[in-house]
Amino acid sequence: MLTIGRAQISVSRWQLSYESRIKFWGILFILPTILFFLIFKYGPMIWAIYLSFTGYDIVTKPKYIGLSNYISIFKDPIFLQALNNTLVYIVGSTIAITIIGLGLALLINTGIKASRFFMSSMFLTNIMPILAVCLVWRFLFHPHGLVNQFLSPLGLGRIDWLTNSYLALPAIIIVTAWRFAPYFMVVFLAGLLAVPKEIYEAADIDGVTPFSRFFRITLPMISPIVFFVVVVSALLCARIFLMPFIITGGGPGGATRVLSMLIYETGFSYLKMGRAAAISVILFLIMMVFTILQIRLFSKTEEY
Amino acid sequence: MERSGKKGGTSKVTGTKVTRRSFLKGVGALGLGLVATPSTNRLAFAQPKGPLKLSFWTWQNPQQHTWIQKRVKMFMEKNKGIQVDWQYFTFTDLGKKVSVGYATGTAPEGFATGTWLMPTWLSRNMVAPMDVKLLGYSSLQNFVNDYPKAFIDGAVKDGKVYGFPVYVYGFLNYLNTHHFKEAKLDPEKDQPKTWEELGEIAKKLAIKKGNKFERQGFKFAMHAPMWTMVQFNPILLQCGGSWFDKSGKCMINSDAGVKAMTIRASIIRKYQAEDPADTIATSPLPMMDFLKERVSMFSTHCIPVPAIKSQNEKMAAEGYYRPVQMPGIDPNKRFPTAYGFNFVVNINAPKEKQLALHDLYRFIMSDLVDCWKDTGPFTPARKSGWADDPQVKNYPHIDEIIKARDNGALLPETPVYNELADIVHQAVQKVTLENADIKKSLDEAAAQVDKATEEFKTKK
Amino acid sequence: MKKQIARFWTLEWLGVLPLGALTFLVILPIIWMISTSFQSGDKMYQLTTEWIPSVFHWENYPNGLSRSAFPLFFLNSFIVSAAVMIGNIIFCTLAGYGLSKYRFRGDKIILLLILSTLMLPLEVTLVPTFLIIRKLNWLNTYQGIFAPLLIDAFGIFLMRQFMLRIPTDYIEAARIDGAGEFKILWKIIIPQCKPAIATMAIFSFRDSWDQFIWPLVIVSVDEYRTYPLGLVRFGEDYGNPPTEQMAIAVLATIPVFLIFWILQRSLRTGFTMSGLKG
Repeated sequence: MLTIGRAQISVSRWQLSYESRIKFWGILFILPTILFFLIFKYGPMIWAIYLSFTGYDIVTKPKYIGLSNYISIFKDPIFLQALNNTLVYIVGSTIAITIIGLGLALLINTGIKASRFFMSSMFLTNIMPILAVCLVWRFLFHPHGLVNQFLSPLGLGRIDWLTNSYLALPAIIIVTAWRFAPYFMVVFLAGLLAVPKEIYEAADIDGVTPFSRFFRITLPMISPIVFFVVVVSALLCARIFLMPFIITGGGPGGATRVLSMLIYETGFSYLKMGRAAAISVILFLIMMVFTILQIRLFSKTEEY
Repeated sequence: MERSGKKGGTSKVTGTKVTRRSFLKGVGALGLGLVATPSTNRLAFAQPKGPLKLSFWTWQNPQQHTWIQKRVKMFMEKNKGIQVDWQYFTFTDLGKKVSVGYATGTAPEGFATGTWLMPTWLSRNMVAPMDVKLLGYSSLQNFVNDYPKAFIDGAVKDGKVYGFPVYVYGFLNYLNTHHFKEAKLDPEKDQPKTWEELGEIAKKLAIKKGNKFERQGFKFAMHAPMWTMVQFNPILLQCGGSWFDKSGKCMINSDAGVKAMTIRASIIRKYQAEDPADTIATSPLPMMDFLKERVSMFSTHCIPVPAIKSQNEKMAAEGYYRPVQMPGIDPNKRFPTAYGFNFVVNINAPKEKQLALHDLYRFIMSDLVDCWKDTGPFTPARKSGWADDPQVKNYPHIDEIIKARDNGALLPETPVYNELADIVHQAVQKVTLENADIKKSLDEAAAQVDKATEEFKTKK
Repeated sequence: MKKQIARFWTLEWLGVLPLGALTFLVILPIIWMISTSFQSGDKMYQLTTEWIPSVFHWENYPNGLSRSAFPLFFLNSFIVSAAVMIGNIIFCTLAGYGLSKYRFRGDKIILLLILSTLMLPLEVTLVPTFLIIRKLNWLNTYQGIFAPLLIDAFGIFLMRQFMLRIPTDYIEAARIDGAGEFKILWKIIIPQCKPAIATMAIFSFRDSWDQFIWPLVIVSVDEYRTYPLGLVRFGEDYGNPPTEQMAIAVLATIPVFLIFWILQRSLRTGFTMSGLKG
């Protein structure tokens, strides 16, 4: 009995140190990141949250005013308009980017000749300096510009993309999708490539249609990547600022003013840093809720 | 060893977790401590033992900032004991950097700013009063007499001067003389003197094919809130309106305001000679439509010849453009907005640097003929000491340019100028691009401005 | 069998035309940018452009470069972006691995916490980040510019998602064989994540390359300026042909494109489960 007992004890002790060894390394791997984030990310974030409860005009010290920033923000029609714009923009752009990006990646992955070359060319849309991007698209969307000239055979007449308050935001969404779909196409491609060929070969032997191959095999295999793309592109779009700023300046009549632009104006133009911080916190909370929903949604799928 | 509060895990693991947690707490506190500790030095520059170091930031304009740089260099050669770190930024970036600078104690000691922003700086006590004697004037009255009223009203408060004027210009109405002659009109005699005349002439000059303008008659620039303000301001004032009443309430939705906005929209609505959506203007070149002859008349500040040359060599060479005064309600009372730039001193700068800045500013502006040579047609703010020079007198249309400057009206003085500009800009967009109801748009705008003023007063 | 081969063969070639046309449409704006960079200044703002310039103004390139200290600016941008890329590769891989394989309670919370750093817009954190850099005495230095960008939640998240798929049995087997944790990471995990690491490298380089607001705030001397700060100055400059700005923009895309081109070869290799057998 004793001998068996001793043997048992020594096994569990080995297991103890084995587990803690693994945990130790796990912590070690994450440690630098945590330290870095504490200093460079969480510190400033907490500062921003603190600021949101103050009135701060940059020159004098912040003055505590409790919730009044938040109260006045929610009563402000300009904020509500920007909130609406931001939500529409995020949802629209994320859907467009995900679908187009995945579509492009699938296309490239079919092994069409020179697809690498095409992929690299399309990736250029993301590398082009933002200033040039905005300049070009402003001209493409001009009432007499190329886009309208292209569409004229459809007989729609003249479309005022950037000066019609219903079309301006969709126009910005189109530019966003153009700029970021190839970016995420690369991510999707990396994901598609990581799917082991053996799985496809097995399916082919079973005689699966391409359609069901996509939905039954490919999609589940890359679902962590889809999750990634949806979450990250949403977070990216929430913060996009230069594009609407340069192309439409937030117009017409505030139709393309998104929250990040409102934050910039409120903080640096109107010198109301406290209020800007409060709007940032609201944006932060929205994205937090959205991301949590995404996590919930995707953890239902098999591989998350 | 405290309880970790978590189920399972051996005591060894719990121990590790607690240690880690408290360690992390410590680091977090350290991080927060770094952020929360106020800086002891208000300025990043220590008191110098060697040469006196000044930091001086200005806005970007290829002619103007090059000339300023030249003057700064000359100043340093004459004053070996002073080193000026001069930098330039685009106008919007300049504002941003200055704001961040004040927040972090690294703002420049001297910088340039727009005259319309003086209330913004003054109301927050960010700039220092200046001594006119060090700027070369024996008395305040002499100083005031030497600059256009539009500038003085904004920068002189309670007998103290807060800004040293550099440039002031007024907007002009530029006419394409070829187009005028084509329509059998004389650019000199037939220039629009009232807003109705402007509309009529624009209608005559416009050429429309189907739903597309080949040539518009007159355009208002719509690319930036600043331009919207500069163009709307005189119309409002000419109609007898005002931006604010004595109590500070916004008055743009008064009858005069509605009249002014109706005039503003009349070229589009009544005379159908303008298409606000059809423009190729950009920030660096807002007068692009005029330069490319897509419009016959355009309101803008004086256009430098290099700008014309860069986009339309023929127009520059043959000179078929003519600036005239903006129209008025009363043909005898035509005036534009006049605005400009001045040099200011950071109130946090040490005394000796403030004094040195006076010397620098005075020197930069001491040779205005040289200024004109390099930066004409941008008019220096000062009235005296240069306008009689033959180089100036022979400049084409100089009389119109100076008249616009001298007659120009001031932009509204309010500490919430940026909010006002954005709100008015949007109202104009709604009225011109979406055919919105004028009274309703102005009511909305006035309410928003009042709200912004109210919030500023309660320091949010 | 032969029918299958023949069908497959034509699909590969038939696809070229539509894919090529699509690519062409997508990169039309880029072609515009390149074409405009060779035009004379007055051709910049035109609604109907000449796609192939009638006269090639090659001088836009050397002239544009000389307007500001662009060669220096590009070098600075490169140093900063390379540092950010390396930092991301090292630390995000470590952190991503830690998060994906070491399952402990609350790891979803940690994921959320890490993602939360992507949720706050830059404008509000500018001032406190500036203050931190100043306390470290890193104003106007390379590290001052790249330090806040060194580890990005994007990279951690990406690595985590990729590493999730690597079966734990694989790792367990190696552990039982006596391999150390670090060795496992180095010899087993990383080779299988090459596409992900390449992707992360490309993105971190590119994101840092384009950064404007942060360098604007932190740098006050030409010595350390990055190229976007120089590019924006063309904006107000009407004295010189605006097409020079396009020339610089074209030059700016080259380094990022090169990095992308080099790294995208890793995207060529998929991986097989061969290592697991036996």
